[in-house]
Amino acid sequence: MNNIYFIIIAVILMIYIVHTVRKNKLSVKASFWWLIGSVIILLLSIFPYSINWLAEIFGIAYPPALLLTLAVVFLLFINFQDSRHISEQQAKITELAEQVALLKFEQSRSTTKREPNDKKSRK
Amino acid sequence: MHRVLVIIPAHNEAENISAVITELQRDFSTADILVVNDYSTDATREIVAKHHIPCVDNIFNLGYAWSIQTGLKYATAKGYDYAIQFDADGQHIAAEATKLYQTAVKANSDIVIGSRYLEDSGYKCAFFRRLGQKIFSLLIRIFCQKRITDPLSGFQCLNRRVIEKYASFNDYPEFPDANLIIEMLYRGYKVTEAPVKMRQRQAGESMHGGIIAPIKYMVNMFYSIFFVFLQHFGFKRRFKEKLHR
Repeated sequence: MNNIYFIIIAVILMIYIVHTVRKNKLSVKASFWWLIGSVIILLLSIFPYSINWLAEIFGIAYPPALLLTLAVVFLLFINFQDSRHISEQQAKITELAEQVALLKFEQSRSTTKREPNDKKSRK
Repeated sequence: MHRVLVIIPAHNEAENISAVITELQRDFSTADILVVNDYSTDATREIVAKHHIPCVDNIFNLGYAWSIQTGLKYATAKGYDYAIQFDADGQHIAAEATKLYQTAVKANSDIVIGSRYLEDSGYKCAFFRRLGQKIFSLLIRIFCQKRITDPLSGFQCLNRRVIEKYASFNDYPEFPDANLIIEMLYRGYKVTEAPVKMRQRQAGESMHGGIIAPIKYMVNMFYSIFFVFLQHFGFKRRFKEKLHR
């Protein structure tokens, strides 16, 4: 009955992910792979011997090695996706900052042009 | 008299956009038009400028949904009463847009969806699209007890309340189709359908082409709907909004 702890961990993880999305701290899209991961943890903790069966199919003598390999591959995958998103966002933020700078310049130029008139109207 | 804005998100639609604008100006002259140029690399912008129509330029490619949201933010800022989402590829017919608007006023409806299947319009489409439309229609019927025949239609008329709602979403979905309809139904908004005709695509490429894109779309859609259910069944009281009619 050791796996009951892992079931609890998986369920807490799932609730936490859903809760974060609900509070708008995580986008629905970003939560997808994390929720898939927590479902896999849940399935593995309910059926712990499935890893032995999988190891047999892949011809791996020591089943925990398969478990760790899968975990590393999964985390690398998520990590790579995050890196990709960060790069995309970096490019977009740069573009935004440049455009805002140009807009601010245009705006300041148009307000300085109008300034003499404003002083007149104030008097 | 209501102020109506027709929002046309356009990405590389130089071949179609001119005809779409002239048709709208002829058949729906009371409405204002806004083109959201989604970082087109062709002459779309110049063609729109020739028609003397306001054109918002995205500074990078935002995609269909967020271009619509840009248009809705414009509509909020300018105080429009109704907004109609209109495709730039010539599939939507301007005369049918007036029908949507009239239905929205007559039925006092928050969202009016232009449906291709409510009456037999002879519209033919890809097998996957038809399948998706059937599945989502069934889902809405089961979970919302509402008959929506064309949940994938982008041809919609939104009233002021919905415009403001969508404009303020900070996680506006990438594909705002069935998931958004289910969410709005659960929140207590009134959604109706009006039968419309649509043309087949004239030129250019659809955004749901290929094999991988539709699969991605389906996974994305089911996942978003799943989250809408979670939100609805989690905080039933808070999720439903108090709407005054």
